[in-house]
Amino acid sequence: MTRSHSRTVRKTGTAESGRARRATRVTRRALLAGAAGIAATALGTGARRVFGVPALAAAKPAQLNIGVVSGGEILGLKAIAPMWNKETGVRLNLIEYPYASLYEKMTTAFQANASTFDIVMLDDPWMPKFGSEAWLAPLDAAPFNLKRDPDIFPVVYDLGSWPPPSGPVPPGEGSKDRHIYAITLVGNVEIFMYRRDLVPQMPQTWDQVLAAAKRLNNGSKQFYGFTMRGAKGNPVISEWSPILRAYGGNIFDDHWNVVLKSAQTLSALKFFTGPLKAVSEPGADVTDAADRSRLMATGHAALGETWPAEASDSVENPKVNSVMGKVAYAVVPAGPAGKHTPLMGNWLLGIPKAAKEKDWAYRFITWATSAKVQKPYAAAGGIPFRQSILTDAGLNKRYPFFKAMADSLAAPPFWRPRTPEWSAVETILGTHVNAALAGTETAEVAVDKAAGEITQHMKEAGYIK
Amino acid sequence: MNRGAKVPAPHRAGAAITAFRRAAGPYLLLAAPILFLLTVVVYPLVYAVDLSLQYYRVGGFAGLHNYTLAFQDSLLGESLRATLVYAGLAMAVEIALGLALAVAVQRTIRSVAGRTLVYLLFVVPMVTPPVAAGVIFRLMYIPQYGILNFLFHDLGYRGNPILWMSSPKMAMFSVLSVDVWQWMPFVFLVLFAGLQAVPPDVTEAAQVDGAGGWVRFRAIEIPYLKPLLLLVLVFRFTDTLRVFDHVQVLTMGGPGAATEFLSLYLYKIAFKFSNLNYAAALAIYVVIIVSIVFSLTSRYLTEETT
Repeated sequence: MTRSHSRTVRKTGTAESGRARRATRVTRRALLAGAAGIAATALGTGARRVFGVPALAAAKPAQLNIGVVSGGEILGLKAIAPMWNKETGVRLNLIEYPYASLYEKMTTAFQANASTFDIVMLDDPWMPKFGSEAWLAPLDAAPFNLKRDPDIFPVVYDLGSWPPPSGPVPPGEGSKDRHIYAITLVGNVEIFMYRRDLVPQMPQTWDQVLAAAKRLNNGSKQFYGFTMRGAKGNPVISEWSPILRAYGGNIFDDHWNVVLKSAQTLSALKFFTGPLKAVSEPGADVTDAADRSRLMATGHAALGETWPAEASDSVENPKVNSVMGKVAYAVVPAGPAGKHTPLMGNWLLGIPKAAKEKDWAYRFITWATSAKVQKPYAAAGGIPFRQSILTDAGLNKRYPFFKAMADSLAAPPFWRPRTPEWSAVETILGTHVNAALAGTETAEVAVDKAAGEITQHMKEAGYIK
Repeated sequence: MNRGAKVPAPHRAGAAITAFRRAAGPYLLLAAPILFLLTVVVYPLVYAVDLSLQYYRVGGFAGLHNYTLAFQDSLLGESLRATLVYAGLAMAVEIALGLALAVAVQRTIRSVAGRTLVYLLFVVPMVTPPVAAGVIFRLMYIPQYGILNFLFHDLGYRGNPILWMSSPKMAMFSVLSVDVWQWMPFVFLVLFAGLQAVPPDVTEAAQVDGAGGWVRFRAIEIPYLKPLLLLVLVFRFTDTLRVFDHVQVLTMGGPGAATEFLSLYLYKIAFKFSNLNYAAALAIYVVIIVSIVFSLTSRYLTEETT
């Protein structure tokens, strides 16, 4: 444009010197604009240094579209969004969906190769589907070349990697090159809570949990030794899985054979549906997360598992907590083998392959997960995942469960089997474990039926013959 | 007008437009609802049939494979059994209660204000969203802090807390109670409206002849209400086949699969197992059953009224 203006000036000659002078002024203005552009680029480079990512040659977009789940999981993200907008001038457009719709919207967009989202927030059980379909851009390959940060727990990188670095790998996926496709934003990991005023010694094993719960349980006064989230489906499986793994049981071996029918599984289920249920609230088989948190926060329970979001929203919320300062947190107890086995349930950030603004999406991800930003993120109620943040003394005063989260992430925690069939497997297992908890099936029948139905399902899915 | 005179060209054009309007008008008026029906009824139905005729995972034409699969599915059998028990109990309780209340209100409350108040009270549950109804009842039934167990305690009950949703029978009672609370008023309102159609001189004549309340109910009111009773039965039956929201909130289909009714089972197959093909086949079965019930009923009602 500047060049065309100059050409115009040359053509018009001296007769139109006035206009030419104006044109010359425009040219100077353009030159100034150019200089400003160079300065901005230099500043931009500086800004990139602040982000700590390599320089990327992408023009600045007006906004970044990020598909997120609505609810408590994005509390921290909402708090840091204005900071990002101010620092970069790129508006972060949070497109919120309920849990089930988010998955549907994302898969629909990916299947159509649509650039609906520049960034997506995904629940970790979705990783197998997204990984096997190759819907996300690898973050540890060019042009991003993400490097592992020692402040981030290795398990966090492993969770966002595909194919999974440990455990069984879905058929046909093992031969693929492993890459990191997503980075954790919400570092959810299941932890253990207990009343420190009533249980002076932190319970290290499930047997110690049971002993303390038996001592404290007093149903006639509506005080329960343990609070159990046993509602059908995902709730009861999230609750029981750490116990199953602590007892040495598992659902699959490394080749997807169903190994549920074992002495370890039976012991874990009998412990769960027998002595532990006996010291839990009545109707544990219909108790969900909100009921469990309410019992603990209102001083009606002594011990129980919890998720950080529950602790943050309810148990550590002075508006609803009548036992403020009396609840302590720890890594979930160990089983007979002495191994602590917390369950992971992270929310991750990834960049769709069809995204328009990949460079800026990557800048945002590295910015949002940086130690600098994770601090205000956590202070605003977000669930962090960096070691330095989780062990920060100041943050632990406000959120006393952070240290337990750090210990759990270092344990390391286990993840749900990496398969797109997990939803079906969890539904089957969640039905029978719930039936055993309600007493409509014996532990043996529940394990037998669940193993049979899961085997049948995995056969139909082509995982086993 | 002179017969021999020529009709001017503009008049001929106007006549042609009028003729076209007369001929095409009804079709144009019909086009909008037909397009609407094609979009929201026919297309999804055809899509569902298409899905049901394909293999799960591998795709390709599967013929009736997904339809025959239903006969080997023992879990579907359990779900059907639970659904039929639920439907039977819901229809029986709602019709008995609705009918009894309709007759009672008809005979005892004569004032307009009194009847208006009854209508209003009975409309409230019907306009409550089923999810909200589920949440309200869950808060009442939850054993740890639900109001029902507190009431029992205040009344002197000192046993173990009643587990309203934990055994198959209690869970069935709990989900059924929400259905009765929400839909018995529908039965009441329909039957109460039906009772208004009973000619007063007939009942007065029966009273003069010495007929008591029961005889009037059996010999006069029931025959008048027969078509409406059938209608209510059909509506409630088809509704119970679709029941989902409050059951999901209250029991999630548990304990085990005790309250996993057909719609919850369908949901599970479609969205937890991602088997849309089999779920579509099951949905088509439901559509067929409902269509048969509706066509038989409408034929019966047509014969009754002609």
